[in-house]
Amino acid sequence: MKRLLVLLTVLALLLPLSLFAQGAKEATTVAELGPDGRFTTTRKITVEVFDRGVDDGRTPAENNVWTAWIKAEVLKKYNIDVTFVPVPRWTETDAINNLLAAGDAPDVCYTYSYPTVQQYAAMGGVTDLAPYVEQYKHLLPNLFNLLEEINVYNNLDPKTGTLWALEARQFYPHRNSVFVREDWLKKLGLAAPTTHAEFEAMLKAFKDNAQLLLGADASKMIPMSISVDIGWMGDPLTTSFVPEGLSDELLWALGYDDRRIMWPGYKDGIRLLNKWYNLGYIWKDFPLYPFGDQTYHDNLVRAGFVGAFMHNWDYPYRAGGIDIQTTLAQTGGSFIAVDPFPNDAGLYRKYLPSTTGDRKIFFPNTNKEPLASLLYLEWLSTLENRKYLQIGPVGVTHKVLDSGAIQIIPAAVPEWIQNSADNIDYTMVINGKDMGSAQLNGLSLGLGYSGVDPRYLEESYRIEQNDGRIVKNFTVGTLEAQVGLDNVLRDKRNDFLVRAVVAPTAQFDAVYDAGWNDYLATGGRAIIRERLARYEEIFGVKIQLPAGYVL
Amino acid sequence: MRRPTTALQARDTGSDRRKRFKLYMHKYWTLYALLALPITYFIIFKYIPMTYIQIAFKRYSIVQSPWKMPLANNHGWQYFIQAFRTPDFLRALRNTFMLNFLDLVMGFPAPIILALLLNELPFKGFKRVTQTVAYMPHFLSWIIISGLARQLFAPTSGLVNIVIQRLGGNPIPFLNKPVHWVATYVLLGVWQSMGWNTIIYLAAITAINPELYEAADIDGAGRLQKIWYVTLPSIKGTIIVLLILALGNILGGGFDRPYTLGNPLVRNVSEVIPTFVYSWGIKGLQFSLTTAVGLFQSVVGVFFLLGADFLAKRAGERGIV
Amino acid sequence: MRIRSRTQRIGDWVIVLLCVFVIFICLLPMVNILARSLSSPEALMRNEVLLWPKGLNFDAYQYVLKDKTYTWSMTWTAILTAIGMTLSLVMTTICAYPLIYPQLKGRRIINTFIIFTMYFNAGTIPMYLLLKDLKMLNKPIVLIVPYCLSVFNMIIMKSFFYSIPDSLRESAQIDGAGPVLVLVRIYLPLSTPVIATLALFYAVGRWNGFQDALMFMNVRKYYPIQLLLYNLINAISSIEVAIQEGFSTPGLNETIKTASVMFATVPILLVYPFLQRYFITGATLGAIKE
Repeated sequence: MKRLLVLLTVLALLLPLSLFAQGAKEATTVAELGPDGRFTTTRKITVEVFDRGVDDGRTPAENNVWTAWIKAEVLKKYNIDVTFVPVPRWTETDAINNLLAAGDAPDVCYTYSYPTVQQYAAMGGVTDLAPYVEQYKHLLPNLFNLLEEINVYNNLDPKTGTLWALEARQFYPHRNSVFVREDWLKKLGLAAPTTHAEFEAMLKAFKDNAQLLLGADASKMIPMSISVDIGWMGDPLTTSFVPEGLSDELLWALGYDDRRIMWPGYKDGIRLLNKWYNLGYIWKDFPLYPFGDQTYHDNLVRAGFVGAFMHNWDYPYRAGGIDIQTTLAQTGGSFIAVDPFPNDAGLYRKYLPSTTGDRKIFFPNTNKEPLASLLYLEWLSTLENRKYLQIGPVGVTHKVLDSGAIQIIPAAVPEWIQNSADNIDYTMVINGKDMGSAQLNGLSLGLGYSGVDPRYLEESYRIEQNDGRIVKNFTVGTLEAQVGLDNVLRDKRNDFLVRAVVAPTAQFDAVYDAGWNDYLATGGRAIIRERLARYEEIFGVKIQLPAGYVL
Repeated sequence: MRRPTTALQARDTGSDRRKRFKLYMHKYWTLYALLALPITYFIIFKYIPMTYIQIAFKRYSIVQSPWKMPLANNHGWQYFIQAFRTPDFLRALRNTFMLNFLDLVMGFPAPIILALLLNELPFKGFKRVTQTVAYMPHFLSWIIISGLARQLFAPTSGLVNIVIQRLGGNPIPFLNKPVHWVATYVLLGVWQSMGWNTIIYLAAITAINPELYEAADIDGAGRLQKIWYVTLPSIKGTIIVLLILALGNILGGGFDRPYTLGNPLVRNVSEVIPTFVYSWGIKGLQFSLTTAVGLFQSVVGVFFLLGADFLAKRAGERGIV
Repeated sequence: MRIRSRTQRIGDWVIVLLCVFVIFICLLPMVNILARSLSSPEALMRNEVLLWPKGLNFDAYQYVLKDKTYTWSMTWTAILTAIGMTLSLVMTTICAYPLIYPQLKGRRIINTFIIFTMYFNAGTIPMYLLLKDLKMLNKPIVLIVPYCLSVFNMIIMKSFFYSIPDSLRESAQIDGAGPVLVLVRIYLPLSTPVIATLALFYAVGRWNGFQDALMFMNVRKYYPIQLLLYNLINAISSIEVAIQEGFSTPGLNETIKTASVMFATVPILLVYPFLQRYFITGATLGAIKE
């Protein structure tokens, strides 16, 4: 009797523990789609949406005119009931961690970081999309049309055949442009620089003529500004030192770091920045200001003290909060994009990211409706739907010009204000306005920036794409060496580049090499080696490192 | 238990003990009743989540309960070994000790001295104003303070350095050279917390019996003597308690201050354990590593706490535990 | 009026000067933020504001005060603070008081049990799971209960109770008073300084805290004011997001940021002056015969 009691007690104690066990949910049985393409019974799915937490008259991300429209349309088309789950934008990873651990994650999630998805997958928290995408391909024409095979299968692991995430489409692959004060060039009678030497001479001219250009503020002259993320704000310069004609495979193998510091020739670009820093052409105090908050830097630019800087192709023209061009216009200043850095072959080579690199869409393992979720993405990818989400109703959030181009106007009614530009928080499959045809897109490109003359944007975009080369991506599956290190390596990279630029010129090599070796030792080397090995394994070709390249 | 001297006393029976116990409970049951709620609180909100600490020894999986996760390599010590093999961690460990120690040396006496100063102020209104203003910095987040610090101390555009240069001197690298940075870091920490920390000491001082001061007056004690022989001894208990608690935090320390004040030029001194964990553990989704390092911090902290407590008791104080 | 000697007077003025210095360095940042919040965005952009507003305008304050979310959040945080503070004080007292009895059986164990929790915690995920199981997520109660008892504060209170002479307690016990009566009649009246101190600590902790709301509260109307501020500051300045996404959040600027900081900070600053009258000298202690 006593033994029975003990047994029962033990079982009773074990029972709650077993409740904590949560294995991966089993795949759903094939859903029933009627002849009209709708589900016979209403399916419910939950979709993640970023909550930027800011009001200013805006509406809750999970409940506003846009979500109402989406819900109604998707219900009508597929008999799917969509609920939006808000996730705070600033703590998105933490929030998803919590939700995943609790089994509450939305059915459709997206994130900018693929290593995050990989890690969740390694822990068993992500659904493998490969079988579903294969099985339901015929039901997803628009999705495949928009994303194209390259984005759908970008993350397909060649060894295991698993597909953890789909890549959203970066519609306008772009990198950085070099911006220069147009009015200062005019005042000093300088032409737009077309070589490194001319650019340097221009910076010197800015510095020497500070009195003329800034008057009472001459002491605040900053010929060129940069930030702690040198890799980003020096990118056009540093990549110009990369030798022309490197193979796609080599660029990929050494391209682990998004800022490309492992590409051959990079060090020489930093060396030039170091020279300019020591000559006083670069903002002296830049190391102190963390990259995370660019207000200080932007203030300097807006106040008119800065002669040149490098940033996203449309950065000075963006409205609201950044407002560089519109602010400067009040005193007659303006920034124009220039193309001053040719490479060793005389080409103004721009290494552009491919259409991947935006968000990754994944389904947590708690997703019980993979078909419904895929159909939701299919619906989102359909041109009319995403176009409406991006530009809204005519007359309210946009107007159509005679040429057919679309011009965005401030929302006439507060409830139509978008929480994110082009509503990208909802149109998770695409980043960038797509009006349906290349011509229309070209016409509309410059019109999304209120208060800015479209010619600036067109010029910047033209330069951006000039001598452009898409950097191909090769999928080799998960790299062991990479797990958990992305953030660490990124911080190290920023740190040593800053120290190298700021060092006295005589110490440049020592400082750069020390930082470089630390970066390699912490994981950079192992990652590249693994990339090379995996590539050889899968594609059967050995990638040769350039002569003299030390790993 | 007294040695029985009579036959009657020798028979300390179970029933005697039970009777004593019943008497004790009859007298003191309310104390246990009062403790019931706090103890329940601790069990629910502290001890139940604490079972998660075991992931320091396990391979973390976000969809499994900690009891089910597989053990990590090296009998579970994989992450501890990994941490100690990482040069960045060792550097962070060194910096944490160093910065916390300096914080203690500079920052512990400051509020006491300020409290004593305030206590000596003859003008009551002025005392209130100073108290209120002194603790304002505590309310500012380090993001704001660091922004202000840069505005003042940046090498070329910082206002303090501009003034120094106008006066003909060389700019001081407050924030961009390691040694100077440590000094700025510690001083800013003192400045931010000193006003707030005086509150406890002032509260303790107000509880001092004024008769003691009157007696000292009669004995002809001067101001400094009164502080030394009356005030300080009376708040000694409070000081010891706070010192023990501070020592228990020797490997802790905030994240905000080193993170917002740090920059690439001083990284070799500004990287501390909380920022290390943030970069390597939290951002890298390495939950097990994060927990392992946290566990290490806790164990060391408890060790210091108990050590300090023991020393305090040895010196005749009451201690904490 | 006490007669003060010359050295004493010099000493007094030295102390006053030191205090003035302290006031200056502590007031500086608040004055700076106030000045920035009253300046024009152009002046801020040119980084010209230190202690005095430039281009005086009240736009930022108008914006903040007009936005109902701010004013509501302020009220809501005040309510939360009041409730939380009271609960915390009660919990702290009933926890600290029994532990001062040397004859309490199990005292050592209970002490260790409690202090242990100060050092060992496992992060947000287990707390999140627990709160989810207790069905407390996204409800106001999650901002009040989980962190209501601070061991640090409890130790402070315990330490203060110790400084009250045991003889008081013992003589009351001889007179037949139970422990609770002793608490209410003797300890509490003598503990106004420490209660005021802890009230301040808990109030400030709740008012300034937002980490718990960040993780456990998704309902907008229950956001504490500092969480609003956090979102605001991030929306204005998060450059990584701006680069990743290719756009920046429109419509906000730095004057609003500083006005919000003032808005969120000033109310709690006023609590201490209000509580200062409880920091009375130990006149009551002196009146009790040893």
